[in-house]
Amino acid sequence: MKIIVCMKQVPVQDSLLKITDDSRWVQEAELNYEINESDHYALETALLLKEEHGGEVVILTMGPRRVKEAIKQGLAKGADRALHINNESFTTLDIFINAKLLAAAIQQEEADLVLTGLQTDDYGFGQTGVILAEKLGLPHASIVMEILKQDGSIKVKREMESGWFQSVELPLPALLTIQSGISQIRYATIKGIMMAKKKEIKELSLSDLGLAEGDVDDSTSSLKFHKLYVPEKTKQAELLEGDPKDVAAQLVHKLKNEAKVF
Amino acid sequence: MPEQLSFCKSLFAGAIEQEIVFPYPRIDAEEEENLSMILDSLRQFAKDHVNSSEIDRSGEIPKEILGGLAELGVFGMSIPEEYGGYGFSSTAYNRVFEEMAAIDASLAVTMGGHQSIGLKALLLHGSEEQKKRYLPKLASGEWFAAFALTEPGAGSDAAGIQTTAVKDESSGDYILNGNKIWITNGGFADFFTVFAKTPMGDGGEMKISAFAVTRDMEGVASGKEEEKLGIHGSSTTELTFDNVRVPASNLIGPLGKGFKVAMEVLNSGRLGLAAACAGGTKKLTALSVDHAMNRKQFNTPIANFEMIQGKISDMVVDAFVVESMVYLTTGLIDRGDVDYSLESAICKVYGSEAAWRTVSEAMQIAGGLGYSAEYPYEQALRDVRINLIFEGTNEVLRAFIALAGMQEHGEYLKKVGKALQNPLADLGVLTDYTLGRIKSRVSTNRLEDVHSALSEQTGKFEEYAKELHVAVEKVLTKYRKDVIHQEFLLQRISDMVIDLFAMVSVITRLDSMLKEKGEDNVQRELTICQTFCEDAWRRIRRNSRQIENNIDASRKKIAESTCETGGYDLDLIG
Repeated sequence: MKIIVCMKQVPVQDSLLKITDDSRWVQEAELNYEINESDHYALETALLLKEEHGGEVVILTMGPRRVKEAIKQGLAKGADRALHINNESFTTLDIFINAKLLAAAIQQEEADLVLTGLQTDDYGFGQTGVILAEKLGLPHASIVMEILKQDGSIKVKREMESGWFQSVELPLPALLTIQSGISQIRYATIKGIMMAKKKEIKELSLSDLGLAEGDVDDSTSSLKFHKLYVPEKTKQAELLEGDPKDVAAQLVHKLKNEAKVF
Repeated sequence: MPEQLSFCKSLFAGAIEQEIVFPYPRIDAEEEENLSMILDSLRQFAKDHVNSSEIDRSGEIPKEILGGLAELGVFGMSIPEEYGGYGFSSTAYNRVFEEMAAIDASLAVTMGGHQSIGLKALLLHGSEEQKKRYLPKLASGEWFAAFALTEPGAGSDAAGIQTTAVKDESSGDYILNGNKIWITNGGFADFFTVFAKTPMGDGGEMKISAFAVTRDMEGVASGKEEEKLGIHGSSTTELTFDNVRVPASNLIGPLGKGFKVAMEVLNSGRLGLAAACAGGTKKLTALSVDHAMNRKQFNTPIANFEMIQGKISDMVVDAFVVESMVYLTTGLIDRGDVDYSLESAICKVYGSEAAWRTVSEAMQIAGGLGYSAEYPYEQALRDVRINLIFEGTNEVLRAFIALAGMQEHGEYLKKVGKALQNPLADLGVLTDYTLGRIKSRVSTNRLEDVHSALSEQTGKFEEYAKELHVAVEKVLTKYRKDVIHQEFLLQRISDMVIDLFAMVSVITRLDSMLKEKGEDNVQRELTICQTFCEDAWRRIRRNSRQIENNIDASRKKIAESTCETGGYDLDLIG
């Protein structure tokens, strides 16, 4: 089974973000990056499937040179090779263009399964995977927690709201977006890290994908960033008074219906 | 083998062998990239699985942790690839080791007992057959190694060991008998590097040899686990050898050369310990900064008080210095053609004392909380303390640093003196060795081409390097062979060399950084370097002045009279 795993590099989760002077994006120079959390689980899922059924795991990522770090980590964990759509200006592209680029790269491979993380920790759209499936003309399932491979098809367990699950069967090839926290992610071993340097990282330019600069630049983006800003701090405190029993009941009511914490 | 140059030994002879320490050594980009991934993996593994205070409380490292680390491959880092390991450079190995110490001291001690010293003799002097037989199992973590030198009557005086290995002429095997104590990993290791005395020839002179001994040999037994102040999760036991039959093929290195093997192992092993101290110092600095920023007294974070700032500054300077000297020295090991024995001893002494200062100040910053067992400081304090004691006490290492350096200087004086008395007969000596030395003394008693931002520090280094040379000449001229008993002076001389090596370590690190990144981008590092050098040269000056002008005789008298009376008997009241 040939599995393509789409992975994205995002700023480290607890980064101190500083907004650029034009309020359109964050200052990238001082940021450290890491692999997007749910993409880790997509890769782990792919590696487990490969261990069970054989085949090949190919990492697909795009972005500037720094994303090589993420690729190497994936290769060190056991992926076989990687595709890197190399362009310095991808960070502000919209989802539709992202999906178009990824689809162009995936179409060059005959994959049985395409896996993405459920969503990225930077934008959090949760749409790249499903739009990508649409572009590729593949059936898809989102928020996937378990995969059972059958003959020519897969059966997956999807996470629904309120503790409900759904079982879906899809023909192969298919695309799945993978939920975080579904398995114990493996660590890159020293052996894996040393072996990673021997694995292929194929650089793909726009022309390799049959695309031109005009197809993917900001002018074609249907999504425009107008302003990025830090949420304003507001303080609100309400003092509940009265009989402890009534106060407790009021508190529960407010937590449930106003604060909506449960 | 040509005589290997040593930066610190040359200082005693008045020469600054700049080429050895400039530019600051760097590992290649690919190894650095691998290293950063390995460190990430290790940190993640530790975050998910290692609970240091639980290890401290339970007194053992869970098997799953050792298993997980074995799977990551850390137990075979220093072993070459052909024997199942990964062939790390000394720099890369020690950097991972540093991280391990920041995760948990018991883990670091276990790994150091295994890899820094336990299997090191095999790496350095093992035969091809021995390496093939043992290293793959040790690399995979299936087996653990231990280094067995210390005995009840032979601690710092390692040459005094009593364990014997006598050849049984009928079988050719050696019969091993004796006791070892304080053996790290002693309770569970499968492979032991054991040092024992063997009779040499008919005369029966006993010399030390090293042997590969395995747990499955009959007569090998471990004692109970020692109850220790700290590093509770590490195993420390006695080992007994009762008529253990060791095949002759298990002799490591030449017969009778075991002492040299042991010293070589410890020369590099000590460096791991210093790297571990760097890791501990950095971790404690982070804890202290976090506490100082968040703890408010008098309506302000205590980080705003100068007495706290002074402590934080000292911690950062110490961490920077230890890091600079450790990775300068691992760089010397990796280049392979210099003698680093003094440098690694200096790293151990400075590193362990820096870690001890740091843990003490970290506890002080934390105040009452620091003394509570619910916070990590008291465990850190207990864990760190061993570093001043094991793998050579700091006292014996100070004596070693001074005496080995002066021996080099003495050799130099002897050769020059002899050659000058009879220049024709000893022309060889004069040209090959002495002339080179004389020339280097004339031409390289300065640091050349160092970045101008460091001119003051460089000037002080040169000035006090000369001061050391003068001090050494004074002491040698006055005491000659008796210098070995002048420990107050040996201590001052070793402290001067320690500070000089520390100074040159930060100067060369900064010089490389300044040239690569420009002065504007290394301001913090530059301030640290300036601060340290300012302190260091003043200490050197004080030590130098006290070579002749001191209160040593009084201190000796006080100690001797107190030993006579059996303790403090000068009670003021009652």
